[in-house]
Amino acid sequence: MLYSFTRNKITLQLVVLALCLLLAIVGCSPAAQPQANSSPASGSAHPEEVVLAAPRDLAPGPQDAYYTSTILYVWEPLITASEDGQPAPKLAKSWTMSQDGKEWTFQLRENVKFHDGEKLNADAVIANFNRYKQVSPKSSPFYTLDIKSSYPGLKDVVKIDDMSFKLVFDNPQPTLLYSMVNFSSPIYSPKNFNEKGDFNGLPQGTGPFKLVEHQKDQYALLEAFDGYYGEKAAAKRIRVRVIPDPDTRLAALKSGEIMGVMDLGAIPPTLAKELLKDSQFEVSATKSTISHYLHPNGKKAPFDNPKLRQAVSMMIDRQQLVKELYLGYPTATVNFLNNTSPFYKDMKPDYRPEEAKKLAVEVLGSQRKSIDLIVPTYGLDRYPYKAQAELFQSVLKDLQLDVNIRILDGAAFKEAQSKGDYDLALATQGLPNGDPYTLFTNYLSSTGSSNKSYSLGYKNDRVDQLLNQVKTTLSMDERKNIYNELQTIAASDLPTIPLFNDASLIAYNKKITGYKATIYGTTLPELKWAS
Amino acid sequence: MMYFLRRIAAAIPVMMGISLIAFALSAASPGDPAVEALTLNGVNEPTQSEIDAKRAELGLNDPMAVQYVHWLWRACHGDLGTSYMTKESVSGELLRRLPVTLSVSGMALIIAVGTGIPLGMLMALMKNTAVDHTARIAALSLVSIPGFWLAILMIAVFSEKLHWLPTSGYGTIKHLIMPAIVLAAGTSAVLMRLTRAALLEVWNQAYIVTAKAKGLRDIRILLIHALRNAMIPLITVIGSYFGAILGGSVIVEVIFAIPGIGRFAMDGIFRRDYPVIQGYVVFTGLVYVAFNVLVDFSYLVIHPQLRLGGKLQ
Repeated sequence: MLYSFTRNKITLQLVVLALCLLLAIVGCSPAAQPQANSSPASGSAHPEEVVLAAPRDLAPGPQDAYYTSTILYVWEPLITASEDGQPAPKLAKSWTMSQDGKEWTFQLRENVKFHDGEKLNADAVIANFNRYKQVSPKSSPFYTLDIKSSYPGLKDVVKIDDMSFKLVFDNPQPTLLYSMVNFSSPIYSPKNFNEKGDFNGLPQGTGPFKLVEHQKDQYALLEAFDGYYGEKAAAKRIRVRVIPDPDTRLAALKSGEIMGVMDLGAIPPTLAKELLKDSQFEVSATKSTISHYLHPNGKKAPFDNPKLRQAVSMMIDRQQLVKELYLGYPTATVNFLNNTSPFYKDMKPDYRPEEAKKLAVEVLGSQRKSIDLIVPTYGLDRYPYKAQAELFQSVLKDLQLDVNIRILDGAAFKEAQSKGDYDLALATQGLPNGDPYTLFTNYLSSTGSSNKSYSLGYKNDRVDQLLNQVKTTLSMDERKNIYNELQTIAASDLPTIPLFNDASLIAYNKKITGYKATIYGTTLPELKWAS
Repeated sequence: MMYFLRRIAAAIPVMMGISLIAFALSAASPGDPAVEALTLNGVNEPTQSEIDAKRAELGLNDPMAVQYVHWLWRACHGDLGTSYMTKESVSGELLRRLPVTLSVSGMALIIAVGTGIPLGMLMALMKNTAVDHTARIAALSLVSIPGFWLAILMIAVFSEKLHWLPTSGYGTIKHLIMPAIVLAAGTSAVLMRLTRAALLEVWNQAYIVTAKAKGLRDIRILLIHALRNAMIPLITVIGSYFGAILGGSVIVEVIFAIPGIGRFAMDGIFRRDYPVIQGYVVFTGLVYVAFNVLVDFSYLVIHPQLRLGGKLQ
């Protein structure tokens, strides 16, 4: 009998002891308390190091168009964007446009050095333009580097003197500065590229931070660049870890393992609410270039009828949506254009449920209609899209619409849109740059790429005429008038139903200071330990 | 020796079969890799001509059979291709991530075997006692708990509250503990129950009675005779389990921010990155085949009678 074993107490005790030891070794190894100012991944301690986290790797590597995102402040563009969306000087300190708009002359900032010690001059800029030509279009998780779309009709890049150069175009380019902003004019050391135009090592930019170490999908280690021409970075070392799961990022913040989060979807609003219950933490929010929409399939009934699109738009209480599901950080709007564009026209949400119901009756009669609302999976991680879809499902019942929610992964979502296999779709769109011409063309032109690939089925002759007109309009005031009219038409015709302009939201521990959200990123160079 | 050579040779058509199925499934799934490659940033909306150019560049306009044969030809020469999205070598990426996945799954195996078998032995030794009942309830609970829930619970307790372990990341032994326990939990429970059942089954066999009659100590009988004969089902479970977790566990890798093979494959699937999917399928297929062969080999070591063509009782 097995019970006979129990008599052998010594043996049994030995077995139990061995098990306890094993469990103790495996489960309870004496780990030191993780600290945010230590280097958890490398194991080496740097008391001055600040650890942050992002949902994705912000330094995709040497094959990427930029190696790092601009929000790591490793490289700088010729032209940047100010907080009001206007082009602002960075490595180019000034510029002039010729009378005919076909030539732009840029003066470079003096005494700027790359991280490898090379000097910024016109030759370095020309080497970068040669690289743009060589690699374009080059995909990136941030923005595609494409010289044809950023510098349409670029004929030549001419050195004028050591610190100035000229861009020569086939056609007038009055809004060139807008399309040159940030990701369209990155400048690296001319010695930083291999024969294919990829990076031959770590990126050598001119930014306040140097990328000194990078473990793909784990972390990027930044060090303050002592030779920076402007105000030096306040923190000596910053480690940006990759933590894809939002709950784990929150836990890492709470445990003190990281001091803050950054990048798109850094902290979903619901988690921010939970975090703010603890007085150790703070949230910073500002405008974002992302807008949220409800795309209707305008190629088939019932949303080929603009009246039903208007009914849906009037039935959605955007203020409530933003307040309940996004904690009030975004801005509700019916404007197609994102509010970070300098051409943005303020339009208040239009919530009129009773009129919406009348419009629905006009279109559908007494019949109920079953429709498909598709939701992309990426929206479920970053945004409360599931709750949002369920809210629409509930609200649209009153418009005689029975909503069937379908959650699709990114690729299947795009295919459903392009094949028109949907009725409504939850979607986001980023603003490529301050000049909305590309965005208007993509969505509102009868031949626009987004209009086609999302099956919006939109055609308005006046819009096509305005878009043609804007191409040859040099005066910024006249362009503004055209853009105003386009915004008004879009809000009335609703080729897509705008919901709200998103907010750029970050969270951080009060042990650090100077860390705030910006339209695209954070004030990373100002971040420092609170004394 | 011939037996193993035959097993390895038999693996080749198996590998081709699974790679073909994976290729067909990828191609049949909705979505266009060219569109995915052009819309990585979520801002660009490519025109049809851009999509057509990208499809031509990626070789996606060829008939599916031609695409598959091209891939197979290169794979036979050790080239698993280049990722459509990252433009990096798939084999290089898999090899870079392999040590990460190996370390987590290796530790998970140690935990699963190191806890499952001894606890199973203890349960058998103390059959129908309070210890046995408690351990059986614990095993049932462990096997029923979803991995992601256990992961979140452990992070809340060991990282947020106790500050003993880092929430996530990779690099030190401390980073491996929680992911390994989460990966091991279910298998540890299965091994506990299986060990207990297997030991109880062999305990009344004639050779055990003989050993007792010869005056051998009980612990010796248990470890040398009973456990060895009870090992066959255990090794089968351990082999298939290790093969499975070597393929990467997506949930554990995402929650604990481990840059392993599972996350790589999941990104490939979402982006319709065919070379990545194919490379991953071939790699995991190889792992499965290798572990099956190892399991077969271990049968021979444990049961010498099998070497002479005997059968298990």
